[in-house]
Amino acid sequence: MTVRQYQKKEALLKVSNVSLRYDCLVLRDISFEIDDIIREGVTQGQIVSLIGRSGIGKTCLFRILAGLIKPTTGTVLIDHDQHPVRAGDVGVVYQNYILFNHRTIYDNLRISLERSQTPPGGSIDAVIKEYAAEFSLTEHLKKYPQQLSGGQRQRVSIIQQVLNGNRFVLLDEPFSGLDAIMVDKVKQLLVKIANMHEDNTFVIVSHNIDHSLAISDSAFIIAKEEGKEGAVVKESINLIDMGFAWDPDVIRQQEFIDFCASIKDKI
Amino acid sequence: MAIQEFFSPLKVISKRTFFILAFVEGVMALLIWQLTAGELIPTPARVATAIIGILGTDYFYSNLVQSLALIAEGMGISIAIALLVAYLSLIPVFKPIAEFVIKCRYLTLTGLIFFFTLITSNGHNLKLSLLVFGIVPFFVTSLLSVIDSINVQEYEMCRTLRMNSWRALLEVVIIGRFDLVLEVIRQNFAIAWIMITAVEGISMSEGGLGTMLIKSNKFINIDNAFAILTIVFLFGIFFDYLLGVIRGWLFPYTKLQLLS
Repeated sequence: MTVRQYQKKEALLKVSNVSLRYDCLVLRDISFEIDDIIREGVTQGQIVSLIGRSGIGKTCLFRILAGLIKPTTGTVLIDHDQHPVRAGDVGVVYQNYILFNHRTIYDNLRISLERSQTPPGGSIDAVIKEYAAEFSLTEHLKKYPQQLSGGQRQRVSIIQQVLNGNRFVLLDEPFSGLDAIMVDKVKQLLVKIANMHEDNTFVIVSHNIDHSLAISDSAFIIAKEEGKEGAVVKESINLIDMGFAWDPDVIRQQEFIDFCASIKDKI
Repeated sequence: MAIQEFFSPLKVISKRTFFILAFVEGVMALLIWQLTAGELIPTPARVATAIIGILGTDYFYSNLVQSLALIAEGMGISIAIALLVAYLSLIPVFKPIAEFVIKCRYLTLTGLIFFFTLITSNGHNLKLSLLVFGIVPFFVTSLLSVIDSINVQEYEMCRTLRMNSWRALLEVVIIGRFDLVLEVIRQNFAIAWIMITAVEGISMSEGGLGTMLIKSNKFINIDNAFAILTIVFLFGIFFDYLLGVIRGWLFPYTKLQLLS
């Protein structure tokens, strides 16, 4: 367990008093903030986990954060200028890795890159090939999504959102349905992409506590309070101050294992 | 594979085994037909003789061309109308129209023949109108079921990629589901093919396979009637196969297996 030096600067994403009501109250007064983490000499992105049980309303919160639905009350402000979130500000990687099945992997990436507001330097072809090489997808560029494994499709989904210029990416249950080796690879991938840019912010929405917390720098526990309607943020966790952040082997440490076990009792 | 396995539920058989089974059952059906057919119902041998006879006449080919031209025109117009109605159904103001067109499946054509006779200028247009009116509701029903089955997350992904709703419609519904449109065409072609003999029977001025069929029945030439029915049936199967091949060729991803 190593406590590292860091600073938290301005808010990159600020959720204030978000409630959502359909037939009943799903979310109640959800408030949390994701701040820009600064580490000297390191390009440090942010990985944040929203942990909660299945059916608690995580997916609703996920869609609100992505600007896909409007909350009944409350606001979601995003980026350095803290503007209200709109669809397109935040990338989304769904649990079932939605891609355009009628397009090849190359075309799936191309269509995303063409719509980027901040396209990386170089030709579209060169950028796609560079990312494909970086994330072991070169041999799959001419294939269709149906020809790829779940893990490969997930990689394409993440890169598709990154190439679209989204600094904020929401991932819905990214470890679901993957074997142990693939889970480790996905974790490495998320850390790698998150740290490619200072503003990159990945929000993992998951019920898988151990793996989510192992790569996060902060986490929010979403749960219901006894006898009350609607899920709330029950606890905010600063994993950096606890010495659990940015350590690839943290998942094997007894203290971390015990900590995760204690979280299970809270959700 | 043991014979008893052919009678086990949920047993998976190879393509080759299926074809052997189909062949054996087909031969058995023909044998039963041959042995049980009386004087009135022609035997397969008599039908085969009649088919050979029909295939040797120019009269058949001119009628076949007439039917094919009519179905091509009818299908073309029906597809255009059905696609327009189906795509427009995604715009709220047009949704009730699409729902009404679907309900038109329950309108019988028989009662509308007089109406269409009044509003059309000639026999060809009458046949075409009846054909289009008969097919479009079924086309729209199938197309709307394709659209309804689209996962809402596909539209949401488009929005996260900064596509507006028109671009999302183009990408997900029009381009993304064009392979399924072709499948809908394939499935509904059967309805059109069956209807064509019916509408050609209503207006016989231009001829066609339906006219040939009606005349054969009228003159109690049952061998010929069965022969024409068989030809219509075989052409239908051929077109079904052809559209399947075209779909696989145009959209190779439809033949791919999901890995996981």
